Amino acid sequence: MDFADLVSLLLLGAIAFALVREMKKAAPSPGGLRGHIRARGWGLVLLPVAAMAAAMTGHVHALAVTELAVAGALVAWAPRLAAKLAPYAVLALAVEGVILAKDYHDGFTNPVLYGLVMGGPGSWFTHLILPEAMLLFAFGGWLLVKVNAPGAGLLRALIGRWRDPGRGGVTPAYGLLLIPVTVMALLLLGPRYWFGLPGPELSAIVLVDAAIATASLVLVFRSRVWAATVAEAGLLVLGAYGLAIAEFWPAVPGFVYGLMPLDVTHHAASGGALQGTVLLGLGLWLAPRVMHEHLAPATDPELAARARQLTERVQTLTQSRSNAVDTAAAELRRIERDLHDGAQARMVAVGMSLQAAERLFASNPQAALALVAEAKESSSRALTELRDLVRGIYPPVLADRGLGDAIKALALDTPLPVTVDAELPDQVELPVASAVYFSVAEALANVVKHAEARSVHIDLSHRGGVLRAEVTDNGAGGADAASGTGLAGVERRLATFDGILAVSSPPGGPTIVVIEVPCASSSAKTSSC
Amino acid sequence: MRIVIGEDLFLLRDGLVRLLTAHGFEIAAAVGTAPELLEALTTERPDVGIVDVRLPPTHTDDGLRAALRARKQVPGLPVLVLSQYVEQLYARELLADQAGGVGYLLKDRVFNDEAFAAAIRSVAAGGTVLDPEVVQKLMARSQPVSRLSPREREVLALMAEGRSNAAIAQRMFITEKAVSKHAAGIFGKLDLAPSDDDNRRVLAVLAYLES
Repeated sequence: MDFADLVSLLLLGAIAFALVREMKKAAPSPGGLRGHIRARGWGLVLLPVAAMAAAMTGHVHALAVTELAVAGALVAWAPRLAAKLAPYAVLALAVEGVILAKDYHDGFTNPVLYGLVMGGPGSWFTHLILPEAMLLFAFGGWLLVKVNAPGAGLLRALIGRWRDPGRGGVTPAYGLLLIPVTVMALLLLGPRYWFGLPGPELSAIVLVDAAIATASLVLVFRSRVWAATVAEAGLLVLGAYGLAIAEFWPAVPGFVYGLMPLDVTHHAASGGALQGTVLLGLGLWLAPRVMHEHLAPATDPELAARARQLTERVQTLTQSRSNAVDTAAAELRRIERDLHDGAQARMVAVGMSLQAAERLFASNPQAALALVAEAKESSSRALTELRDLVRGIYPPVLADRGLGDAIKALALDTPLPVTVDAELPDQVELPVASAVYFSVAEALANVVKHAEARSVHIDLSHRGGVLRAEVTDNGAGGADAASGTGLAGVERRLATFDGILAVSSPPGGPTIVVIEVPCASSSAKTSSC
Repeated sequence: MRIVIGEDLFLLRDGLVRLLTAHGFEIAAAVGTAPELLEALTTERPDVGIVDVRLPPTHTDDGLRAALRARKQVPGLPVLVLSQYVEQLYARELLADQAGGVGYLLKDRVFNDEAFAAAIRSVAAGGTVLDPEVVQKLMARSQPVSRLSPREREVLALMAEGRSNAAIAQRMFITEKAVSKHAAGIFGKLDLAPSDDDNRRVLAVLAYLES
């Protein structure tokens, strides 16, 4: 390492230190390091890519330092831009790999570190540069679509033309392709090379190795879709590699590509081209099916749990909606009946009295006067009944002043000392206010009827997006929410707004009735604040 | 006697004007919104303002608020509030300043025009007139009332409605002296200082019931 390398290395360390400090300051993400990683997403891919590119230069020199610094700065301050650039960086690296492989083929002699592979004359690892480049191509393309980088649309359109939407999906059988792929990759990587086993034949130990490797792969992925995906990737990489062997390489003694040993040049050429084409074709055939499966709605456990939750939610909403409709219908029926039997009937009586009075006016003024007085009395009663009806539909103070004052007015009308503490926002939406009002009214009515209480306290508050009413009495206790029909009605009324009712009433008291209605609800119609 | 009317429904406003004119009242202004009402009450300084609780612009309790504001600006300005419903909450707010000259009645009390005219005169004279419905609720809530005899309770209710001893006597078919005796009994049982001033008497009782 010369002096320039040392300076560059120091510079790099300083830059990394500054970046980490700056990232901590700039965006204090929740969850520490994991939060930082999550917040930056796919842009982080830029960092290993930059490191790999820097390593390819073979020295820690100015270019490498600049690359790493730029990548780090992008990730730290422009994570969205970094994510969009990442797939292109990966693809560029893949192109670099192909060029490097070609260079070695043409007699290039310097050792170069490409990813995990150290290439160089006489090193067998040189052969792995091309598969690695292929994998990077695949990853770059996938990432392009994943982060929706510019150009992703074009790629999607190509895939769309290429795949048949009518015959999508993979069967478990496709995952079995993983077995020949693994065997072939193992042969290619050569247990011979690692363990010095003799001959290119399929030995028993290779088969055992392959079986174990396949089983572990299947176990790791535990999913036909992912097994098929890996098989597809393997087929594409191995196929491309076979074509590349046919094009670039002379014989490589002692290695096996598929069914052919690579000892002999013409084998390498014909075997590589033929088998490569078959494998590539198989991979391309599998690709749209795998893609279809990935684009179809996923079924991982988290989503399944979410789906269950949503199903339950829909059931609850259906139930509460049906209750709300029933309640509204019953309420309208009651109002209609009250009007029909009450005010309407009285107004008919008023009309009849006046009609009779009119007839008697000349002949018997005394009787006419009595009838007019009767009409007046009837209209007064009609008004009283209308007033009571209106109070039951929508209490006037609630309309005038909102929930807090309406509850205070309710407290004043209760034949017991009732204290009220109300801390509420100015605007509680009318439907919610009405539901809470009638719930509290029902609770108060129960106290008056059953509790033998001397006093009642009502506390209204609004905290953390929840509107809460608490009715506490110092009565006998022992109330049961399940036994009364009144409280069941309150529960149904509140359920429309995702509200709940809870009763605590030990024998001997005190009894506490709590009503809670969330402000943020799933539909705009039921959000209260 | 000069009167300002605040009522938004034309039929009712017109009806009130005719009824009051027939009873010899002079209508200084008849308006339909709360801001106009506040303006009329403070500039005309009528002997009584007759106010509907619910008025434009918001059609909630604008009329009541306008009346309360007018009384803040002109202390003791006599106001008779009319409404389709009566609320103890609003009654308390009207009585809070203890200045008298306050009435709070259901709109249908207008049907009995003699009593209505009497109520207006009583309010104009600084008296307190509450609707029987409010009084009933006030008394239902108050525990000390249970100490009174049924007869005394009846007298107390009529007192809170703003009736004079003479009117109570006539209503209950007893002598004025008997009413005075009942009143003394009531004040004794409720530990209140007896008073001959009708308004003071009503306020004292109400303050007691409110507490």
